[in-house]
Amino acid sequence: MIRTHILVCTGTGCTANGSLATRDALLAEFKKYGLENEIEVVETGCMGRCDLGPCSLVHPDGTFYKEVTAADVPKLVEEHFLKGRPYTKLLPQDPRTQHVVLTQSDFTFFNSQLRIVRDNCGVIDPENIEEYIGRDGYAALGKVLTTMSPEQVIDELKASGLRGRGGAGFPTGRKWELMRKAPDFPKYVVCNADEGDPGAFMNRSVLEGDPHSVLEGMAIGAYAMGSNRGFVYIRAEYGLAVKRLHIAIEQAYKYGLLGKKLFGSDFDFDLEVRIGAGAFVCGEETALMRSVEGRRGQPQPRPPFPAQRGLWGKPTNINNVETWATIRPIILKGAKWFASIGTEKTKGTKVFCLAGKINNTGVAELPFGTTLRDMIYEVGGGIPNGKQFKAVQTGGPSGGVIPAEHIDTPVDYESLQKLGSIMGSGGLVIMDEDSCMVDVARFFMEFCCDESCGKCPPCRVGTRQMLAILERISKGKAELADLKKLEELSIVVKDASLCGLGQTAPNPVLTTLRYFRNEYEEHIREHRCTAGICSDLFVSPCENSCPLHMNIPGFLQLLKEDRLDDAFDLVIMDNPLPASTGRVCQHPCENRCRRKTVDSAVNMREVHRYIADTIFEKVTAEQILKRLDQRKMPATGKRVGIVGSGPAGLSAAFYLALLGHNVTVYESAEEPGGMLRYALPDYRLPTETLEHELDLIRGLGVRFVCKTVLGRDITLEKLTSDYDVVFLAIGTWEEQDLGVPGGELKGVFPALDFLNRISHGERIDIGKRVAVIGGGNAAIDSARTALRLGADVTIVYRRSKEDMPAILQETEEALEEGAKLITLAAPVQVLGENGRVTGLEVAKTILGKYDARGRRAPITTNEKYVVACDTIIEAIGERVDGAVAEKLGLQLNKSGTIKVDRWTLQTSHPKVYAGGDAVTGAANVTAAMGFGKKAAAIIDRQLAGVDRFRQLWPRPRYSNTVPAQTGEGPRSVGKLVPSEERRSSWHEVSHTLSAWEAKSEAMRCLRCDLKAHSGEGNGHDSHEHNLQPAVNA
Amino acid sequence: MNLDELKKLKEKAQRQVSLREGNKKYRVVFSMGTSGIAAGAREVMTTMLDEIDKRGIDDVEVAVTGEIGLVDAEPVIRVEENTGEKVTYAKVNAEAARKIVAEHLEKGKVVAGLAVGKPKEAEKK
Repeated sequence: MIRTHILVCTGTGCTANGSLATRDALLAEFKKYGLENEIEVVETGCMGRCDLGPCSLVHPDGTFYKEVTAADVPKLVEEHFLKGRPYTKLLPQDPRTQHVVLTQSDFTFFNSQLRIVRDNCGVIDPENIEEYIGRDGYAALGKVLTTMSPEQVIDELKASGLRGRGGAGFPTGRKWELMRKAPDFPKYVVCNADEGDPGAFMNRSVLEGDPHSVLEGMAIGAYAMGSNRGFVYIRAEYGLAVKRLHIAIEQAYKYGLLGKKLFGSDFDFDLEVRIGAGAFVCGEETALMRSVEGRRGQPQPRPPFPAQRGLWGKPTNINNVETWATIRPIILKGAKWFASIGTEKTKGTKVFCLAGKINNTGVAELPFGTTLRDMIYEVGGGIPNGKQFKAVQTGGPSGGVIPAEHIDTPVDYESLQKLGSIMGSGGLVIMDEDSCMVDVARFFMEFCCDESCGKCPPCRVGTRQMLAILERISKGKAELADLKKLEELSIVVKDASLCGLGQTAPNPVLTTLRYFRNEYEEHIREHRCTAGICSDLFVSPCENSCPLHMNIPGFLQLLKEDRLDDAFDLVIMDNPLPASTGRVCQHPCENRCRRKTVDSAVNMREVHRYIADTIFEKVTAEQILKRLDQRKMPATGKRVGIVGSGPAGLSAAFYLALLGHNVTVYESAEEPGGMLRYALPDYRLPTETLEHELDLIRGLGVRFVCKTVLGRDITLEKLTSDYDVVFLAIGTWEEQDLGVPGGELKGVFPALDFLNRISHGERIDIGKRVAVIGGGNAAIDSARTALRLGADVTIVYRRSKEDMPAILQETEEALEEGAKLITLAAPVQVLGENGRVTGLEVAKTILGKYDARGRRAPITTNEKYVVACDTIIEAIGERVDGAVAEKLGLQLNKSGTIKVDRWTLQTSHPKVYAGGDAVTGAANVTAAMGFGKKAAAIIDRQLAGVDRFRQLWPRPRYSNTVPAQTGEGPRSVGKLVPSEERRSSWHEVSHTLSAWEAKSEAMRCLRCDLKAHSGEGNGHDSHEHNLQPAVNA
Repeated sequence: MNLDELKKLKEKAQRQVSLREGNKKYRVVFSMGTSGIAAGAREVMTTMLDEIDKRGIDDVEVAVTGEIGLVDAEPVIRVEENTGEKVTYAKVNAEAARKIVAEHLEKGKVVAGLAVGKPKEAEKK
């Protein structure tokens, strides 16, 4: 007796991963132990998780193994089959639950599916007709031929509500009825297996896993429509599917399930396979029929429709693989059952292919009406590497791109159409924040352009012209008028093309223009591709992700060449606060560093800290200024007033002074620096570091007027009359209220107020125990400050630790210093006695649905407990000071931020510009500086009338040879002061890199700025191209 | 092919594929740790599989597990019924295995002399 089956997936995906070798190794190993009579190795079709291949499933226990290579087999056989325990090394982890799973039914990807079409896939051996019969195979055909009239079959289908799965969703019953009524004879039935969408392989998985279900469906259809001959049209590159179809047909003939007088009736049915050459257009039914006839696959105008004049001029019915495979379960289980699944207008299930930036790549069958959110986050397991979901492309190259805001759409034909997309074959390409929508449109347009058959000019010429425009946009060489042209062309191509290929080709362009127009404009206006895909528009991924667009490979190379002064010249021009940001930047550059794929990201932030610290130590401010002054432009006589001396204001001031303008900065506090001075504690950013940088800015001629509050000491009206241009960089200085009872008690501090007062040297009595509420940098700064005041500190955050927006390293350091962290806890009320805080009551939260940013929303439970404390610091977010903003008389956004034009940073007052946190809401130092830099470029162009900004930059020559060897060895990080010392000291917690460490970091750079195709020749030209200053708006 | 032939073919083929569908009435679990194997559990299992085949019993699945702790009573097997009832047999030799198949798996009668302790109802979830 066979006691165990081990199913080995031999679909195309798993075969490519070596599943045939796995199968052979299993057979050999079982033989070795004499198990061949009790364990059977069964080859099956696709189990749906090609990314985990070779996949294997053991029955009867149902254990699911991933990545079973031949090398794993001896250990697997020993563990599972001899010792009877799961071989844990090959068990997959469910990204949804983070648990290792044993069986398919424990895996969210599998257990959230409803398998009707793919019921047999990955379960039976597709090359053995008896296994199919053992699962009720051909019982539906038998039932139809012995008990039902053709009309009854059609009525059953009509009642079931089945719609064609090829994409258009035409009701199958009605289609069959029209065909049945066609008077001509013979009639043909055709299976369209010309699956060609990038990222779509649902039809292949059915044909490879359960070919008989398609054959049976076609035989039933032929009977119902009065046809005796069928064709399966499949592309040649689906080699395995073709082979299995042939085997299935041969076996069906042998068992008398195809051919003459089936089931003793008068019905004959013959079926053959026709191979296509893989032209996308041959999926269009009229082109497909010509190809079946052996002619060139080109579409024909409709009418006549295939049911009137199809193959060889005779009535023909064409259905998609999935439609045919759905017939059998409807006949067996009844129309009523089928109609109970799905939405009101679209019944049953659909096989979807999940591809792109998603954890669970594969094939999944789900009922219509499942939301995109469930498909992506439940079935798909979410977005890898903690990235944010951006959009999903449905329906292949002729489908549309649906943005994150529509993630709750229940998927059916109508809902997708409403969003400008289509169901198509059911392919879902998931895109994260690193996907560029212009590039997506360009990619799909390139595909359609390549695949256009050339018969009709709108498609042939139109797609080529659209592609040319998209290419210009992605190279930064387009104009805004091109967008209008693109839209006009889209409409012409859509309306005038002969067949579906041309009619749908503009969909990706139209939907991306509809939902992501800003991205197109960004490419055109600013020559930027924020996603970092259009490589003509940036130096390197690190530069592109830096809000200041620092030429990072440049300064790393200069350091490598031991040219510290040149490196500093470049760094200070790119980033006016290189030492400060070298300590506090969120370093988005590291997220995009390609070195990460080798070992870990280059520590770029600390290298520019090293460069700046070393220069500030060795060289006096006068000497540095002498060098800077060489680049300063002659005085323009124009006056610029800046309000706010935080990162945004300082950056704008630095560049505007260099450009020759007369700059005055107003500051409400005693000293300039804003958040840098007053919100960032000394242990993180020592004031003297900031002073070095302020000295340079002062030295360039910037005048600071402190203790001057906007709206109290000076009005915007006065500023606009005194200055040619005013730049508002007033930041976000109001802490958001927690909004729970007890917030008024003594001992509750807003984080900013707390940090500000401490930095002013005030002694605040915080008692022994402090609770900090929040998970951002302000929360961590407050916690570490309170620790240094001698308190016992607990950080309370409502989500999980991974969701904390604070810089991870800062959080870790805080925990090392002794802070406690309570996650999944939301404040309910502040408890107090005699008007003073005694504790914080929190409720346990559980993580619920994913929000649009890909974080799971906390849901408050009834389980409450109290965190005893004497002081509570609220750090849940900052906003623009409402009292100041209101008096400005400018248009504000709903969130209270200042409204600006996204491209010009102009406010509702033509002379007033704004940037930084005051515009975006609380962000971070470098993001604010990026605004300051951009504003300087814009304001200068406004004042000077020409674009002079990029002339400021030095152009040091450095080697542009790809490094033959990039330094090996681990990443260097600044050494930390031991935690016990740190916690009682206000001194800086981390040391600057040593010269050797900094250089070894520079050596680790892979020089992604060197491109083979810079388009402007090689050598120094390309170097100059690369050295373009970042802001060239 | 006609409907009857298809039905017959299905019944035959079902034996093959039903293993993958679960829901068998009995599940026989062999303790296949070192001591089980040393005491001859592997041979006993082969005998039992043959016997099940010979009698054409469909509603049984046979599995192995690790050491279950009754070292001096090996070979040990456990017969689990889908009702939740579990019976453990100790010192099962080839002859006993055949008897368990004939009595317990075919007729549903516990082989009293071989069973360890009393069959008890497993806790129902």
